[in-house]
Amino acid sequence: MPEEKIIVLGLNHQTAPVEVREKLAFERSALGESLKRLHSLSAVREGVILSTCNRVEVIAAAVDEQAAFREIKLFLSEQESEKKPGGLEDHLYAYSGGEAVRHLFRVAASLDSMVVGEPQILGQIKDYYTAAQEAGTVGTILHRLFHRSFSVAKRVRTETGIGSGVVSVSSVAVDRAKRIFDRLEDKTVMLIGAGKMGSLVVRYLQSSGVRSLMVTNRTFERAVELAEEFQGNPIRYEDFPRYLQMADVVIGSSGSPQILLRSETVRDALKERRQKAMFLIDLGVPRNFDPRIDEIDNAYLYNIDNLKEVADEKLRERSSEAQKAEEIVNEEVAVFLRWLSSLEQVPTIVALRQKLEEIRRGELEKSLSTSLKGLSEKEREALEDMTAAMISKILHAPITHLKKRPEDQDEELYIEALKKLFDLGEK
Amino acid sequence: MDVTLLKVTAVFYLLGTGSFIVYLVLPKALLSRLSPLILLGGFLIHTSALGVHFFQSGYPAVTQFREALSFYCWFMVGVYLLFQLKYHLTVLGCIIAPLAFLMSLAAFAFGVGTGELPPELKTYWLLLHVTLAFLGNAVFSLAFGVSLMYLLQEFQLKKKKTNVLYRLFPSLETLDRLNYVFLVWGFPLMTLGIITGSLWAGFRWGNYWSWDPRQISSGITWLLYGALLHGRITSGLRGKKAAVLTILGFAVVLGYFLLGGSVFPSRHAGSFE
Repeated sequence: MPEEKIIVLGLNHQTAPVEVREKLAFERSALGESLKRLHSLSAVREGVILSTCNRVEVIAAAVDEQAAFREIKLFLSEQESEKKPGGLEDHLYAYSGGEAVRHLFRVAASLDSMVVGEPQILGQIKDYYTAAQEAGTVGTILHRLFHRSFSVAKRVRTETGIGSGVVSVSSVAVDRAKRIFDRLEDKTVMLIGAGKMGSLVVRYLQSSGVRSLMVTNRTFERAVELAEEFQGNPIRYEDFPRYLQMADVVIGSSGSPQILLRSETVRDALKERRQKAMFLIDLGVPRNFDPRIDEIDNAYLYNIDNLKEVADEKLRERSSEAQKAEEIVNEEVAVFLRWLSSLEQVPTIVALRQKLEEIRRGELEKSLSTSLKGLSEKEREALEDMTAAMISKILHAPITHLKKRPEDQDEELYIEALKKLFDLGEK
Repeated sequence: MDVTLLKVTAVFYLLGTGSFIVYLVLPKALLSRLSPLILLGGFLIHTSALGVHFFQSGYPAVTQFREALSFYCWFMVGVYLLFQLKYHLTVLGCIIAPLAFLMSLAAFAFGVGTGELPPELKTYWLLLHVTLAFLGNAVFSLAFGVSLMYLLQEFQLKKKKTNVLYRLFPSLETLDRLNYVFLVWGFPLMTLGIITGSLWAGFRWGNYWSWDPRQISSGITWLLYGALLHGRITSGLRGKKAAVLTILGFAVVLGYFLLGGSVFPSRHAGSFE
């Protein structure tokens, strides 16, 4: 087997603006075609295309690294020129060998994501890998590489806190709701105001199980519209304090400069609902809810700043966990490279053995048919044994050396030297 | 009672405590399974110690104050383990296990000898009375545990600052509901415990109520829990207030065991005159 190198060529959210990424994106429906085209490039042995909204990458195994880079670059720019030619060069990154392996592992572990730790990327990689497998463009090396990347992602997920926790204001709100309430399925949400943030939080709560929703707004028509959008019940603004006792979660999302909800109103509502806890989310700037509500027992008031603070803290936590994750990636890259070089070294050893064996056999035959013609059967055997022993003694040191230190940095150098010295060209 | 078995029991409770505390810092599934198992080991040894006494003497080991404490501890661990089996609330063990260890330790602090029970007291009344009373106390210990958790969780939510416990603890609603469940179970048990004790005292000594420290403390706890239960059912007394009251009631129970009973001579502490 000739030595193949893993290479990565692509761009992501850090190197290219969204317009460039869009232009380069691969159509899911035509992916099979694109993969086959990639595979047909002369320098590319194996190839996978990864195309998400934040990145477009080609991961390939190639014999001639430089040629492959050239060809894939052309392949990508063809993809782009279908829309509009542009300076693709500036946005592309290219990795090979260990760097390429590290890059893929980091992407899979969501360390290279726009939101570090977000879990979708792994699923996307699996998807694109499967597509490549179906298109028949994956071989031993990429197969192993991608499967390793899945388990690296899993390790990072379980051994670091990078995927845990929440980062957006909406998800922090839902997280808090889940620590106040046992389950959200039987809870009722009241949305006051038509702010964008409020709709976001409602959507998040609904996807977490909330079924019952009341919507109120100063303009009743707007309340009706919103209620329709979220399949809730519109309530007239004047009436909302009366309905407050039914609400477990109250969201204030109005641009009103005045306080919409006084603490007395909440106190009364709590009495009505026999002190069943209420979670009040004030997304208004300036505040929609009276801050004194927080002093009431069984009322939990969070304003937008409280939620943001938690979200930011989570982000910071993630970055320290990211360091742990990088260490895991480093470890795994080393393991993978060891495997890769063992793939390479085995054929070299075999070739070396064969070469010496050929020489031995050739010389032996030559001598036995000429100068040593008169040897008896026994003597011939002894000669055979002796030469064979010589070869294996000569080979012993270099082979053990190669096998014993696969993690050696100079590994490739040794193999290269061996090939050159013994003229072990590919056949 | 077999002191060696009790010592081994205490060691197991200590190991369990350690394991539960490690679980707090390192919430792994393995520890969540292992910790209750260690506690179960302690419980089984504890059971054998109490069982040996019961079969040798024919009555439960409760005549001495320290024995009563140990008996209480045994019930508490048993009820917790049953609860854990059904609800898998491992964090509750982080409160119960250290409590069990401290109670075993406190029992040793009051000596190790065995008391003699006057033969005329060897009746089924004793078994019935102590089982009901201690079962009630055991359930209240769990109520105390979830109430303490409630306060810790509520504090984090109010202060908007969370620590490692935030994720491990269940929601306020769950904790509050468990408080109610334990109260509903514990209160009737305690009531029956008091009634059987009182009736027995009436038959045996002629007076149903003798202002024995145990009776006084039980009376206070009973009133407190009764009021709490009443408030919960009728007027929406719940959440933080309910948790604080539960903890107070439990403090009275524990207070008797750590102070009252050892200072004042009483029928509940080995003097039967």
